[in-house]
Amino acid sequence: MIIDAYFFFRILVFPGFLFVFSFTLFCDWFERKAIARMQNRMGPSYAGPFGILQPLADCIKLMTKEDIIPENAERFVLSLAPILSFSLLMLSILYFPLDGVNAFSNSGFEGDLLLVLALVTFANFMLFLLGWSSSNPYSGIGAVRILTQFVGYDIPLTILALGPAFMAGSLSLAKIASAQKVPFALAIPWVFVFFLIALQAELEEDPFDTPHAETEIVAGYGTELTGRKLAFVRLSKDLQVVFGAALTADLFLGGPYGPIAFGLGSFVIWFVLKVLFVIFLLVFVKAICARLRIDQIVRVNWRLMIPLSLISLALTAIYVPFAKFELGGLRVEKG
Amino acid sequence: MIPKEEEIRDLISGRLGVGVLEHKIPEPRRLYVLVKAGFHRDAISILLERFASTTISTITGIDLGEDIELNYHLWCGKAEVTVKTRLPKTKPQVETVTDIMPGAALYEREVFELLGVRFLGHPDLRRLLLPDSWPEGQYPLRNDWNPELFNIDSVSVEDLQIDADGNSTVNVVIGPQHPALHEPERFIFKLDGEVVVDVEPRLGYAHRGIEKGAEQLMFFQATHMIERICGICNVAHATCFCQAVESIGKIEIPPRAKYLRTIVHELNRIHSHLLLLGVAGMEIGFETLFQYLWRDREVVLDLMEKMTGNRIMAEYSAIGGVRRDFDQVLGEEVKKGLAAIKKRIDFYKNLLNNDPTFGLRTRGVGVLKAPAALKLSVVGPVARGSGIKMDVRKHDPYAAYDEIPFEEVAYEEGDSWARFMVRLDEVAQSVDIITYAIEKLPSGPYRTRVPRRMPEGESLGRVEAPRGELVHYVKSNGTAYPQRVKIRSPTLANIISFREMIRGCYIADIPTVLISLDPCFSCTDRMTFVDLNDGRKWFWSMEDIKKRRFEKR
Repeated sequence: MIIDAYFFFRILVFPGFLFVFSFTLFCDWFERKAIARMQNRMGPSYAGPFGILQPLADCIKLMTKEDIIPENAERFVLSLAPILSFSLLMLSILYFPLDGVNAFSNSGFEGDLLLVLALVTFANFMLFLLGWSSSNPYSGIGAVRILTQFVGYDIPLTILALGPAFMAGSLSLAKIASAQKVPFALAIPWVFVFFLIALQAELEEDPFDTPHAETEIVAGYGTELTGRKLAFVRLSKDLQVVFGAALTADLFLGGPYGPIAFGLGSFVIWFVLKVLFVIFLLVFVKAICARLRIDQIVRVNWRLMIPLSLISLALTAIYVPFAKFELGGLRVEKG
Repeated sequence: MIPKEEEIRDLISGRLGVGVLEHKIPEPRRLYVLVKAGFHRDAISILLERFASTTISTITGIDLGEDIELNYHLWCGKAEVTVKTRLPKTKPQVETVTDIMPGAALYEREVFELLGVRFLGHPDLRRLLLPDSWPEGQYPLRNDWNPELFNIDSVSVEDLQIDADGNSTVNVVIGPQHPALHEPERFIFKLDGEVVVDVEPRLGYAHRGIEKGAEQLMFFQATHMIERICGICNVAHATCFCQAVESIGKIEIPPRAKYLRTIVHELNRIHSHLLLLGVAGMEIGFETLFQYLWRDREVVLDLMEKMTGNRIMAEYSAIGGVRRDFDQVLGEEVKKGLAAIKKRIDFYKNLLNNDPTFGLRTRGVGVLKAPAALKLSVVGPVARGSGIKMDVRKHDPYAAYDEIPFEEVAYEEGDSWARFMVRLDEVAQSVDIITYAIEKLPSGPYRTRVPRRMPEGESLGRVEAPRGELVHYVKSNGTAYPQRVKIRSPTLANIISFREMIRGCYIADIPTVLISLDPCFSCTDRMTFVDLNDGRKWFWSMEDIKKRRFEKR
């Protein structure tokens, strides 16, 4: 690895921080616009063409607002948690092979899939700390709900993420992406569908959005947040969505590699399009569901999701040798 | 066959003998019985024995000068019986009826705080509507009370008391400001983890003194104020008050007016039910349902505007008829708009029946079984969701409802889902009623002229508001001003059942169950003069507020 100007350009500008940041804001707009159209509303439409600058405007507005810390809150944790969760999520996205290699100009290492999953769990834990430290009953309940939900759904999510790893015979994000000449979403659809459901829970979207259910516990863990802290938490939530969609795109849709008809090159545009497609799927589920109760969510997880994910992983393990035979001619040799 | 009301009269006077001082039947399905002090409990017991489904509508207290008169309004299936009893003002004490009629608990508390009547044996005789810091011994509905008596500096302000009982329960305060509540109201929930152990509702954050205010206005003026009790069911309030006054003045309104009242009343019901179902969608996190239902509701609001001139505040009913006429071109337009709504209702019915997430959140949640519902005297869709048929339109028909065929909707389940389904079915039914009424609309005048002065008398108006039975009791003393106006909104009757429903539910069910009652707190609260809730004492004139606004900038 050479530390030069290009290295810093890749980390800070493209495909690193600046690109991911603006893409996150774009995804936020896309999500809001898509769900608005599904619900027969206008959605953002004032800032910029089609309201495309609305997330940026929101972010700037929040940054300029008064930053209030409640009297009894744990000041240190409350101030640190939003920035930390933002940074952790940003770091984990930099590990994705956005244009074939990751932002650190290498193809990752064997096991960076597990690293990004661990980083995101830490980021979620930051949100729990945030709610817990703001000493508000609504935040407290929201925080406990986050923990209940993540402890449960991290397990099936990790198990299901191993499905593509089995298929590719690697735990590296870049290798899994490059191994897919036929997207794994088509090769192992049973893993893909359950992965999307677990992801929806991980991202706290309907029908799993109990940690911030407005009508029950106001804004959940975020009830006491204002100004800059709120801006960073909102950005973390958006980053989390991008992370989830990017993970799905990487593991199941072939990441930066386009369909064979377009040649074998790897381009950021493919990654972007696939992420938007996954976000669209997530938004669609969000639009057609009511919110479940926390007890129902936990029950669905332990009784349904974990056994099902184990079964689908076992099925994948059995299927792998045949798949290698079937897709063998198309697979790129790993190494 | 002897009419029901005469049978009841004979029954009560036969059993009580000299206990009955007076009785009268001024109009069909209304019976007034004045009993000696102490006999009101016996009269109510007799009714309960004979008609098991007797429910209490409300208790009206009237200051008669020397005495305080209590009117217990009871509905026993076919007639509204008013049991009256008088107490001396010097010693206003009476035995409670909550042991035989648990639904009367809130009504007794209301009379206690507004007229100072002590109900002996009431389990929980506290303030209901007035602020906690309201001075002892001041009763705003007594004739000798006036606002000058109230000295704001003499009030001691106590902080909100929440008793922590030392075990694992957590108290969570919901309201007065909370995203699940669209009007200010406070609920203190005792929680054990995520499970609700108990709830303590506190009403009275939206009091405007309308009952007292109505006594200062002439009948035709009071109609406008009463219409403003509630934005959603304004047509029901106005119609109910007009009916009560028309009945006192023996005014027969033209048949066309009856039909027009029915049409607007039903449009109002569709608008209210669609609004509530949309809010229900939002409360359970189903935002798409909320957006779709409210979009369809716009159709009704546009029709309301074309018929009455306003989207929400209809100002349609007036004493003696309605305010505007209706032509057949508009009739066709209304029919067309409603046909579109009916198609959408089929879609929503399918959705509510079959959507798995909606079912998970509402089926078996907040159950109120028929016996408990009857005991607590709940009304409207809440009662019908528990299988109790008590639609005022059917059993005590007013306007044109006796000429229009319709079936009463009822579900047996008693859970939140059943209460939502009742409303959805009623929307479809309202469409049919309106279509029928437009086709059969009689010709003729739509309003008669009425005198300002009304003869002496009393009357009880009942209508089926979107949220349930609405009761207006009006007493006239022969002038142009009412002597007493008593309003019992459906929410006050239903809120008492919330405690029964919510015990053992999860926090996440609180909004669902509360919304399934369709609470309207601005209907329920009508009577305060100052707000001391945040502990400060001050009076601001409009000038002060303006000044302050500029200072802040």
